[in-house]
Amino acid sequence: MTLSMPPIPNLHAIAPEIIVLLTSLLVLLIDLIQLRGKKGGLAFLGAAGLALAGIFSYKLLQHPLATDIPGFAVDAYAQFFKIIFCLAGLMVIGISVRYLTLEGFSLGEYYSIILLAILGQMIMASGTHLLVIYVGLELMAISLYILAGFFKHHPKSNEAAVKYFLLGSFSSGIFLYGIMMAYGLTGSLDLSVIAGKVAGAELTGLLLLAVIMMGAGFAFKIAAVPFHFWTPDVYEGSPTSVTAFMSVGPKAAAFAALIRVFSSAFGTLRVEWTTLFICLSIATMVTGNLVALRQTNIKRMLAYSSIAHAGYLMVGFVAGGELGISSMLLYLRIYAFMNIGAFGVVILLNRVGGIGDRIDDFAGLSKVSRASAFVMLVFMLSLAGIPPTAGFAGKFYIFMAAVKNGYVWLAVIGVLNSAVSAYYYLRVIMRMYMVEPGDEPVLNVSTALSAILLIAVVGIIAIGIFPGFCLDLARTSVTSIL
Amino acid sequence: MELKEIIFFILATATVLSGWLVVSLKNIIHSAFALLITFFGVGGLFVYLSADFLAATQILIYVGGVMILVLFAIMLSEKVYNVSIFHASKILPGLLVLGGVQVVLLRVMIESPWRIRAGADSVMRPTTEILGGLLLNEYLLPFEVISVLLLAALIGAVVLIRKEVKRRREGACL
Repeated sequence: MTLSMPPIPNLHAIAPEIIVLLTSLLVLLIDLIQLRGKKGGLAFLGAAGLALAGIFSYKLLQHPLATDIPGFAVDAYAQFFKIIFCLAGLMVIGISVRYLTLEGFSLGEYYSIILLAILGQMIMASGTHLLVIYVGLELMAISLYILAGFFKHHPKSNEAAVKYFLLGSFSSGIFLYGIMMAYGLTGSLDLSVIAGKVAGAELTGLLLLAVIMMGAGFAFKIAAVPFHFWTPDVYEGSPTSVTAFMSVGPKAAAFAALIRVFSSAFGTLRVEWTTLFICLSIATMVTGNLVALRQTNIKRMLAYSSIAHAGYLMVGFVAGGELGISSMLLYLRIYAFMNIGAFGVVILLNRVGGIGDRIDDFAGLSKVSRASAFVMLVFMLSLAGIPPTAGFAGKFYIFMAAVKNGYVWLAVIGVLNSAVSAYYYLRVIMRMYMVEPGDEPVLNVSTALSAILLIAVVGIIAIGIFPGFCLDLARTSVTSIL
Repeated sequence: MELKEIIFFILATATVLSGWLVVSLKNIIHSAFALLITFFGVGGLFVYLSADFLAATQILIYVGGVMILVLFAIMLSEKVYNVSIFHASKILPGLLVLGGVQVVLLRVMIESPWRIRAGADSVMRPTTEILGGLLLNEYLLPFEVISVLLLAALIGAVVLIRKEVKRRREGACL
C-alpha cells in the first residue's frame, strides 16, 4: 500500500469549529497565567470566540462551501444549527459568570468545557458519517457529564453527574449497537451509502432493529419519553447555568443529527419510523405536561417542560418535508431564547444552597423587581405559546405543518397539550403578580445577566412579531438536505 | 473437528461462563477477576475474526489498563470491598428482560442477510497498515476529534479531583 499525503482540506469551511476549539484552548492557557478568582475576562473571551464562530457560520450559511473532508458536510442546514449552538453557548456563558462566583466555583475550565461541548454539537450537526456523528456526540456528552458535576461539593450535583454519566453511557452503547447493525447490513457508515443499500434491500428485522436502536440513542439525548428518566434529577442537581445549557444545545444537536440520519440514510423507511416517532411524540407531550403540573421546584418543572417541548418538536419531525423540518428549526431557535432566558431568571433569584429553586420563591417578584418579573412573564408566555411571543409563532408553524401533511389529529393532541401546559406556566406568573412576597427575595443582578435577559426578551418579541426572517433562513437551510 | 474449532469453542465457553460469573459472584474482587477472563476471551474472539490489531488493543487496553484500574479502585475503597453486588430478589425480572431481548436479538441475528466479506476464510493478513492509512486519510476528522475528546476527559478529571483551598467541604467529593 502506498501512502500519499492527504489533500489539505478547505479550512475556511470548518472555520467555526476551528475558532471554537482554539478559543477553548486559549481560555485554558490564559486561566493558568491569570490571577485566581477573576474569571470575567475568560468568560468574555469565550463569548467573543462563540460570537465570531457564529458570524462565520452565518456567512457559510449564505454561501455554502464544498468541502473535501469525508463525512463532514458544510451545508446551510448544519450552519443554521451551529448558529443556534453559538447563540445558546453565548447566552449560557453570560448567565454563568456571577452565578459561579457566588457559588464559589469560578473556574476557567468551566468555559473551556462549555466550548468543547459546543464543538461536539457542531460536529454532530455537520456529520454525514455515523462515526463522525458518534464521536461528536461523545465529545458533547463527556463535556456535559463534567459540567453536571461541576459543583463538586454539592451532593445533588454529584448525584446528577453520576446518574447522567451512567445512563448516558448506556444510551451511547445502545446507539453504537444500532450503528453496528447498520454497518453489518450495508458495509458502510456513510449516510448516503447506507441510503443506497437500504433503498434496494427489503425490510428485515435487522434493519428495523438498527433504526429502533439509533432512534433510542437520539431519544435519550432529546429527553423523549420513555428515555426521559434522567432528565428531572439531572436538571435539578446540575448547576442552573449548566441546566440551561443542557436543555438547549444537546437537544438541538441530537435533533440535527436525528433529522439528517433518518431523512437521508433511512429515508425510504419513512412509514416505519414515522409510526415510531408518532408514539414517542404523543407519550412525550402527555407525560411531560402532566407531570410538570405537579412540580414544586422550578428546575424540575422546566425539566418536564423541556420534555414536553421535545414532544412538540417531534410533531414537526413526523410531519416532515420542507414545512415540518423548517418549523422545527425555527422552534429550536426560539426555544434557545426562551428556555435559557427562563433559567437566567432562576439564576437571578438563586441564593447559595438551593434557595430560589422553588416555584414559591417567585412569590411577589413583581413587587420586588418589576423588570425581572416582566422578563419572566415574557418567557413563561412564550413557553406556553401565547401570542405575540415567539413561542406562539413556533408552535403555530409546527402544528400547521402537521395539519398540512395530513396529521390533523396529532396537531390536535399537540394543541390540547399546549393548553394543559399553560396551567403550570401561568402558575408561575400568578405567583409573581398576585401573591405577596414572603421573605424578601434577593436578586443577583449583574450586567452580563441583564444583557442576556434583554437579548432573550427582544429576540422572543421580535421573532414573535416578525417570524419571516428566521423562517426564511430555516427554509433555505432545510432545502440543502431535502 | 479441527484444532482451531476446538480452541474457538474453549474460548467462547470461557468468555460466556466468566461473563456469567462476573454478575453472579458475591465478592466483587472475584467478579473483577472473572471480568479479566472475559476480556481475554473477547480478545481471542477478535483473533478469529482476523482483527489482529483489535485483539492486541483489547488485551493492552482492557486487560492492561481498565482491569488494573478496576482492581485499584476496589482495593483503595474499603467500603466497596465487601459489598455484594448480587441481588437475588432481582433475578426474575432481570431474566425476563434479558430473555426477551435475547430472543429478539438471536432471531434477528439468524435471519439477517449479513454482508460477508469476500475471502474471509483466506489467510490472515495484518490489518495495522490498512488501519493506519485509513486513520490518517479517510478518518482523519474523527481521529482528531477523538484527541479533543480525550482532552475534555482529562480536563474534567483534573477539575473534579483537584482540591480547592479555602472551600467549605460538605457531602462527599467526587
